[in-house]
Amino acid sequence: MTIRPLRTRPPLAVVVAAATAVALAAGCSTSSTPKASSTTGSSTTGSAAPGGSFDGASYTGANAKPVDTSNLQIIASVINTTNPYFASNIDGAKALGKKLNIPVQIVDAEGSSQKEISKIQAILAEGNKTNIVFVNTVASSDVPPIISSCKQAKAFCTIWWNKPDNYEPWDQGNNFVAFQKHGGVDSGRCTAQTLADSIKSGGVVALGGVQDSTTSQTRIAGLKDELKKHPDVKLLDVRPANWDPQLAFQETQTLIAKYGDQIKGIWAADDGMIIGAKEAVDKSNLKGKVKFTSDGLYPPVIDIMKSPDNPIVGETFHRGYMASAMGLYTAYLAATGQMDPSKLPHEKRDSIFKIACVTPANLADYTKYDTNIDGWIDELIKNGPWNVTPVPLVAGGPEKLP
Amino acid sequence: MTGTDTLAPARSTGDQSTPAAPRTRRRFEVRRGAEIGALLLLVVIFSVLNPDSFPTVVNLRTILDQAATPLIIGVGATLVILLGCIDLSVEGLMSVCGLAFVLLSANSRGPGDLGMWAIVIGLGVGALLGLANGLVHTQLKVPSFIVTLGMGFVAFGLATILFGEDQLPFLRNATLTSWPVQRLLGLPYSFWLAFVLVALGALVSRYTRIGRYTYAIGDNELIARDNGVPVNRYKVAVFTIAGACSGMAGILGTMELGSAPARIGIGTLFLTLAAVVIGGTSLGGGKGGILRTAVGVLLLTVLNNGLILSGVSPNVQSGVSGGILIIAIVGAAWPFRSRLRIVK
Repeated sequence: MTIRPLRTRPPLAVVVAAATAVALAAGCSTSSTPKASSTTGSSTTGSAAPGGSFDGASYTGANAKPVDTSNLQIIASVINTTNPYFASNIDGAKALGKKLNIPVQIVDAEGSSQKEISKIQAILAEGNKTNIVFVNTVASSDVPPIISSCKQAKAFCTIWWNKPDNYEPWDQGNNFVAFQKHGGVDSGRCTAQTLADSIKSGGVVALGGVQDSTTSQTRIAGLKDELKKHPDVKLLDVRPANWDPQLAFQETQTLIAKYGDQIKGIWAADDGMIIGAKEAVDKSNLKGKVKFTSDGLYPPVIDIMKSPDNPIVGETFHRGYMASAMGLYTAYLAATGQMDPSKLPHEKRDSIFKIACVTPANLADYTKYDTNIDGWIDELIKNGPWNVTPVPLVAGGPEKLP
Repeated sequence: MTGTDTLAPARSTGDQSTPAAPRTRRRFEVRRGAEIGALLLLVVIFSVLNPDSFPTVVNLRTILDQAATPLIIGVGATLVILLGCIDLSVEGLMSVCGLAFVLLSANSRGPGDLGMWAIVIGLGVGALLGLANGLVHTQLKVPSFIVTLGMGFVAFGLATILFGEDQLPFLRNATLTSWPVQRLLGLPYSFWLAFVLVALGALVSRYTRIGRYTYAIGDNELIARDNGVPVNRYKVAVFTIAGACSGMAGILGTMELGSAPARIGIGTLFLTLAAVVIGGTSLGGGKGGILRTAVGVLLLTVLNNGLILSGVSPNVQSGVSGGILIIAIVGAAWPFRSRLRIVK
């Protein structure tokens, strides 16, 4: 019997490592670095950035003093990069980074908690930098591992929108600077009221986001609570459309088949779904007979609201760029020693910010902010993260369902 | 050979003379009848439960319109599964093809109106990515589920790049956006498009060489190869057809929605694969057919529609759909359970 010599092949691990190295060299890293990141770095030592003064309960931005930003880095993590709201989160991080002269790293979670956590951990593990982190979490359960990583890396992290109710920043130390969100119940109440006032009486169907989303649940709770005040308006059905325009389209088709012209109004938990719902109505015999309300006031919805045959009677105003900039600026104040998070009152660490009701009549009062994001960033730095129009702090969390 | 499908074409290879053949043929006939019977049963049950909303013309149109996209994908998916392979790139291809189509049509982002060529290019992108699936699978000997899973992510990546950081692109051509709901004989064009493609797919798989070879390869690739079937060439062709089907579904989806989100068609893959299995096409390849998948798609669409009309909670609905899928798979494997010595 002859023994065949083993063929010498490069080990699989070597091949994989080589391929990874090539991919990284080609720029396919786990996070993209926007233009802002290339504008600063170690060369910007000792640059003076805006900084307010903080006495534990109030903030005075006018009292600016020089802050060394040379070793700071902004990390902004979003659920994906194609949703208009998350794209706006990125805009806010870039705008603040540019203003404060701090490089920005963007993390695209690609809709996955695992990718989100591992990408954030990878950047934090690079060391050498003091990181200021904003995370729009994929799921509430992502918060503990992210905060754990922030603690290990001595990063200053602010979480937006989702966290477990019993996981509070003041229990975790200064690296979990704050949790921030806009009120979901207020959003639901606001859009329910404008819809009910518009249709006066008749049936309403509602489209929620993903079933277990706290944001969706609180908005729906606000809707139901508000409609109790309008006995002539009946909530016919609530269906989950998973924040997805196409699913919203199909769900609306089926609801039209079920309820027909009983439907006088359609409420959606966000604008992506209202776009799908409106398309389904426009393709049915209910076109022109149904009013809509939703949350977010995305650009396509603004265009519809400006049109002469606009069926969208109510919206809420909040912006992704405002959320990320407010979250990052809160973390920046902690990272630069301008405030001590442990001395903040609880409502400034688990915070609910105002959400404004928008109708076609007052639309221009809110869309003006979108044309001057840099100007709004100046206001943020001047007034601090808790007292900036049109989204000041209104309450402490966690949010209570009615 | 076992398990000749009466809906499917005559098989080109194998041992037609096995004693078990007539018995198995009966089983498949019974099962086919059971699937159609299950569909009719659901229709009857939901009609009784919702006499005012389910058995209506509006709801029939809704069901057929919603079934159109999975029916179109089902044509390609069934052919790939008949090969003994699987295509998991469906949703990614739908996204990139839908976006390419919208951005090359009259849209809200500005110029770029290529008219009907936008449809051709959208389909071409799907076919090209399907071709890539087939070539990597056959030439580099990579299992199809890995190749297509990766290609799906590549396609999602391409869609994300096409979407960029700009606003959601809306179709500005009213003819295109209203096309799916235009009616012929009272039924929506979207359904007729799916109907034509399903009929074409069924005819191709029954009466053409590519169809017969697809069954032969799925039944036993080695025997097919030994009998001179150019296996790789036909596999590549089938993956290309499946890619074009995904592209068509993406284009139809964006026409329905009037806009092109970066990720259209999320959830369609699960629905279609479930329909293929429920229809009775074997995931092992070589057994089943496109008409069976069509029955499976209609069954799942009616089920989803009927549960909503019946006011069933969304949480329960998800469980019911999953339960029916498991029962269907158990049912499909039941006649062969004695031959399954090891299950992994």
